[in-house]
Amino acid sequence: MEMNDPLRREEKKETRPDQDKSGPSSPDSSRPGRDNLLKRMKKVDPKQSEKYKQRTGQ
Amino acid sequence: MKKRIFGIETEYGLLVKENNSGDFRLDPIEIANKIKNHIFSKNLGVLDLHYRANDEPPGNGGFLLNGGRLYLDMGHLEYASPECSNLVDLITFDRAGDSLIQEAVEELGWENNISIIKNNVDLETNATFGCHENYLVGRNFPFDERDNLKLLSSFLTTRLIYCGAGRIGSCNPHPFQDWDGVSSQEALDEKIDFQISQRADHIPNEFYRWVQYNRAIVNTRDEPLSDPSKYRRIHLLVGDSTMSEFATAMKMGTTTLMLEIMQLGVAKREWILADSVQAMRSISRDQEFKWNVTLASGAFSTALELQHDILETCKKHLAGTNQETDWILENWESVLNDLSKGPEAVLGRVDWASKYWMLNEFKNEENLDWHDPWLKSLDLEYHNLNKESGLFWGLEASGDGYRKTTDPAVDHAKRNPPRGTRAQGRGELIKKLIGQHSHIGYLIDWIGFRLSKTDDPFLMLDPFISYKEDIIEHLKQFETSYSTQKEIENSDVSSGESKKN
Repeated sequence: MEMNDPLRREEKKETRPDQDKSGPSSPDSSRPGRDNLLKRMKKVDPKQSEKYKQRTGQ
Repeated sequence: MKKRIFGIETEYGLLVKENNSGDFRLDPIEIANKIKNHIFSKNLGVLDLHYRANDEPPGNGGFLLNGGRLYLDMGHLEYASPECSNLVDLITFDRAGDSLIQEAVEELGWENNISIIKNNVDLETNATFGCHENYLVGRNFPFDERDNLKLLSSFLTTRLIYCGAGRIGSCNPHPFQDWDGVSSQEALDEKIDFQISQRADHIPNEFYRWVQYNRAIVNTRDEPLSDPSKYRRIHLLVGDSTMSEFATAMKMGTTTLMLEIMQLGVAKREWILADSVQAMRSISRDQEFKWNVTLASGAFSTALELQHDILETCKKHLAGTNQETDWILENWESVLNDLSKGPEAVLGRVDWASKYWMLNEFKNEENLDWHDPWLKSLDLEYHNLNKESGLFWGLEASGDGYRKTTDPAVDHAKRNPPRGTRAQGRGELIKKLIGQHSHIGYLIDWIGFRLSKTDDPFLMLDPFISYKEDIIEHLKQFETSYSTQKEIENSDVSSGESKKN
């Protein structure tokens, strides 16, 4: 089975040779809603996993 | 047996958040109990008046207006959906359970104090809790043949690639002595960044009947909860709780088709894996998503190839049976094709891939390591039922969550049973007991009920029958005899009193 590199989104972010940091940047091609999701994620208590104390069930 | 009946049982996790003001001092068990009691206090169901088991005393839980059941089990809030005859109903009633619980949390004013987490692992202690699937099959289903069980095991092992809910890290339990032969698995001490299944690390056996320890890929317990001469209930505990409606539909839909080709005798022995338990763990932990497997024949394959082959057999023998079957086949094919394009291609449809994509984006944005505690916390937050904060709901809000239900349908399903199964009659019974018959005692179970010690049990042994009209008639007759009995008792009391006077 062929599988794309799961980390390919990091590759997408790489600067293209024709991009000049001082000039206009190319349109953000990231997924719509990504920024809102990141905002949601930033609000999560980084230590909440330590407070999640569960019993074994079935 | 062409008609279908499905059900899902979900054990929820409960997170008590940081309490800066110090005014929220309840422990998780007390909280779960109060949530359950709040739901029943709203007349959404009736609490049990009798012991159901040693660990289920009166008041521990009860049946709901929608025909399902809410209770506490081993410290967890648990919701069992009513029996549903189709996938849309099943997903609607599964979400209705989530909504009943989250709504209670908000009505109690606790949405900032606690979170209800629909997952299956405590990432710190590695405690695990389940999401059980129920499929009704005919009693003649070939469940006692070893090869058939192995075929089902192969299917369940490889369906992880689209049914897994994903998790950060791993649990490395000590190897178990398999009750049915020693599994070749070793204690693994590899450090895993991310795996596609929540439960894979907790399933040490291929077949076993118990549900708490020595969990198995195929649970062999025979508890039909219906006429045992006609039916068998396949009860599976291997699956993850799924947030995505599409994932839930695929999990239940593809499994029912697998059971149907097994019943037809067309499932192929060549699909049997060399070691399902080991394969489940290696598929789940494969960081490159190649999902290689070894077949019993010694040949090599992948979970994706095996699933494609099973799909082709299902298409050959089941396509055109009905609309629901065609929907499952079409979407099964689509998700298998898209899985090979990478996690982002199945965003919103496959939970592990959605979670992986989100966590990976965040990890890169914040320059974190996979083992950063923040990512573990985000892993939990993916499963939070609170739509304002839960990460899955953010995905759904951005249009990436595939819906098969609607919010009004889910709301309706909190107070009304599905049609076409005995849940409809049970819902009617609960409605009457809450309303005009609230003075009557009762003992209710999945297979029937009785209203007093002298009342003949009303059996509901066929899950395909609604029993609604019969139950209404039974209640009328019971009420008449109850009133007559009361009149006699009252007249005996008054005549006794006049004699005294």
